[in-house]
Amino acid sequence: MLKKIASYFFIVFGLVVLWASTSREAMAFISNARDNKFWWGTYQCLHGDLVSMSYLDFVKAFNPPNPPRHAKRTAYTGTKNIALYLDGDSYTWPVRDTNFAGVSEYHFIERIHGGSYHLDSSKKNILLIEISERYFYSYFSGQQMINEVLDTTIKKKSVSGIFPVTAPNLLYASLFTGLTTTTFFNKYINQNLQGNLFNYNFSMPMFEAKAALNYYVFNRASGDVVISDDRKFLFLKETVDKNDIHSSYRPLNNDEITILVNNLNVLYDHYKAEGFSEVYLSIIPNSATIQQPEGYNKLIPRIQDAPNLRMKTIDAYTTFRKTRQVLYWPGDTHWNYDGMELWLDIVNDRFINDYALHQ
Amino acid sequence: MTFNSLQFLVFFMVVTLWYFRLKNQKGRIWLLLIASCYFYMSFIPEYILILGGTIIVDYFAGLLIEKSEAGKRKFWLITSLIANIGALAVFKYYNFFIDNIHTGFLFFGKPLSLPLLKMALPIGLSFHTFQAMSYTIEVYRRKQAAERNFVAYALYVMFYPQLVAGPIERPQNVLPQLKEFRPYNWDNVKEGLARMLWGFFKKVVIADRLAMVVERTYGHVHDSSSLALFTGAVFYSFQIYCDFSGYSDIALGAAKVMNIRLMENFKQPYLSHSISNFWTRWHVSLSSWFRDYVYIPLGGNRKGEWRRKLNVMIVFLLSGLWHGANWTFVVWGLLHGLLVILLTRKTQQEPERRNKLINALWMLSTFILVTFLWIFFRSENIGAAWAYIKEIFALRGGSNYLGFNSRNELYFSILVIAIMLYREKFLPGHFITNNIRFYCFTAMMVLICYFFGVFAENQFIYFQF
Repeated sequence: MLKKIASYFFIVFGLVVLWASTSREAMAFISNARDNKFWWGTYQCLHGDLVSMSYLDFVKAFNPPNPPRHAKRTAYTGTKNIALYLDGDSYTWPVRDTNFAGVSEYHFIERIHGGSYHLDSSKKNILLIEISERYFYSYFSGQQMINEVLDTTIKKKSVSGIFPVTAPNLLYASLFTGLTTTTFFNKYINQNLQGNLFNYNFSMPMFEAKAALNYYVFNRASGDVVISDDRKFLFLKETVDKNDIHSSYRPLNNDEITILVNNLNVLYDHYKAEGFSEVYLSIIPNSATIQQPEGYNKLIPRIQDAPNLRMKTIDAYTTFRKTRQVLYWPGDTHWNYDGMELWLDIVNDRFINDYALHQ
Repeated sequence: MTFNSLQFLVFFMVVTLWYFRLKNQKGRIWLLLIASCYFYMSFIPEYILILGGTIIVDYFAGLLIEKSEAGKRKFWLITSLIANIGALAVFKYYNFFIDNIHTGFLFFGKPLSLPLLKMALPIGLSFHTFQAMSYTIEVYRRKQAAERNFVAYALYVMFYPQLVAGPIERPQNVLPQLKEFRPYNWDNVKEGLARMLWGFFKKVVIADRLAMVVERTYGHVHDSSSLALFTGAVFYSFQIYCDFSGYSDIALGAAKVMNIRLMENFKQPYLSHSISNFWTRWHVSLSSWFRDYVYIPLGGNRKGEWRRKLNVMIVFLLSGLWHGANWTFVVWGLLHGLLVILLTRKTQQEPERRNKLINALWMLSTFILVTFLWIFFRSENIGAAWAYIKEIFALRGGSNYLGFNSRNELYFSILVIAIMLYREKFLPGHFITNNIRFYCFTAMMVLICYFFGVFAENQFIYFQF
């Protein structure tokens, strides 16, 4: 009898866990419910997302300077007539409107293509597309961009072929409106399962024990994180894996660059037709691109230097490569405050130069 | 979902427990079919339409073959074969064919641009189409009755443990087992779970660890030393063995838990004393498929020596192509065929009659030959494979870095390979019958897999076929 009850319990438990790890709504609910809770709370690491992923809290080399230095940028006080739309990501979350030169109106929208905007024709409406290098290829090589740009005008124009194969999200059961394959299948299910089944504060010693074994015995990090050749930084594995489209080292042929440039041109024409005065692109280099440049596929300079690219570019790569400052957190995918401030300097110099702003 | 994922562990727990809670076989067949659909759709959901299409065609073809006489039987068989080979031709070989046409026209200075298919190869396509074809051929040969129960037939093709990477089963073995009510048996559960754990060990502790070396050496052919390249080639032999046989162990174990016995796919292939012996031990379900459905119908060895040699070459050419639409696989298959033909006479003396040292030398030389042929299998193209082999024989210096950051990892890799070889040679089969030993073995393997496993969600190599 006990066996029977136990087997039913595990069947129901397994089904619930599979469902919860598939459903985006359930994962959002669980994530909120577990926030800041005691022992069943999610493992929180303050030393960087890569330290968190690899459970290498105990390695001091990957911890940020303590206490972390905060941005101390003084507000720009000159003329202001720019309405800036920043189509950004986690790199630019901490950026504020006062950080930009000449900006009187500031809108931060993650991936603007999915949102809506109303342009004020009395101002210079500038769109700045800031994107992390690791997402650049997958985003602008076609499919994702086509999916997210909702305006029909862009769909009429030819957007070049796609390299990575991403199956379209077919509607399977037309009887059940709204049910798609993504209702039942989630490509992040294994990460979600790990979070739901194991990622608790009380189970951290087990993860840390494995991480310590790998670090001290095999001299490497666990999972999706790798240690840089000079042992000072952690990198996301996908940014250094030569076979991954997010990688800084995956060989890129000229045809691929041509398709990326053509797609950027289509996007540029689209936004210009929408009423933007100018559209800028700024690609933020992967940490590996700057810290470990040997073998770099030169994605950023090849895009920026493409002769037929119509979109204006704001070049962070060249300055980042030249500077002797450390611009990235050792245990994080993101830049540190010095990196962010240097990027803001580059952006502001460009705005001041292009729009003859007076300080 | 891959076997080495959390999703599979939860899925397997739910399906198995539910399977034993059901008291009639009809319910169990439905459960396994739905579970298998979910399993397959977890990779790319849309591709189930291709699989479903071939299942429907083969199901009706089986019924029509059985009902028809003489010429009509052949017609329905050919219809079924065209549907299956057609799916393979379109989804697996079309782009390869077009690429070669492009190259041919370019060679004559007339560039041509024919459209290419922009989709990934459906997972396990070669496996399930071959399994489906074995059903219609067996019905045609009157060795298997046509299956009337559509759900049972669909499950025969889709049974999740062997759906995406085999073993390529025969209907006579699997269909009766799927239709028969098989009660819960603790000994089978122990045997199945122990085998699954051994498969996980081979995959996550050995294969995925060796993958680090293989990726490094194959990615740095020109700046690695000859010794590093040779080590990479040897490690690839063990990587592909542990990867594929590990998958088979998990598949056979998962089926065994449900009291279903699938055919063995590997018989210690690296202990073979000749290339032809290797092919009776490596991927047995595929070799026997080609033997039964290609080699013997072509005349086998019954039509003289030259015809036998031709038949061997045809089988190995097809076997190479079966693995992938790339000239590397074709060359790999042809070289194996050539070696089988050239070396059969010299190695035909029974190994038992040779002295142990000679036998060991034959084994070693066979292993080295197989290792060099794997270079074609692993490389991106023929040029890359040739460069790899040339650099090994250049006997030059260069970087000895193997992709491991510590010598400990190299020693550990050698140790686990030795453990694997020892266990499979001296403790084959299920050797844990006692409950206490089973619990200890389970606990030990779980801890070893967790602490020493490389969890990078690497797919199994044979999934691409």
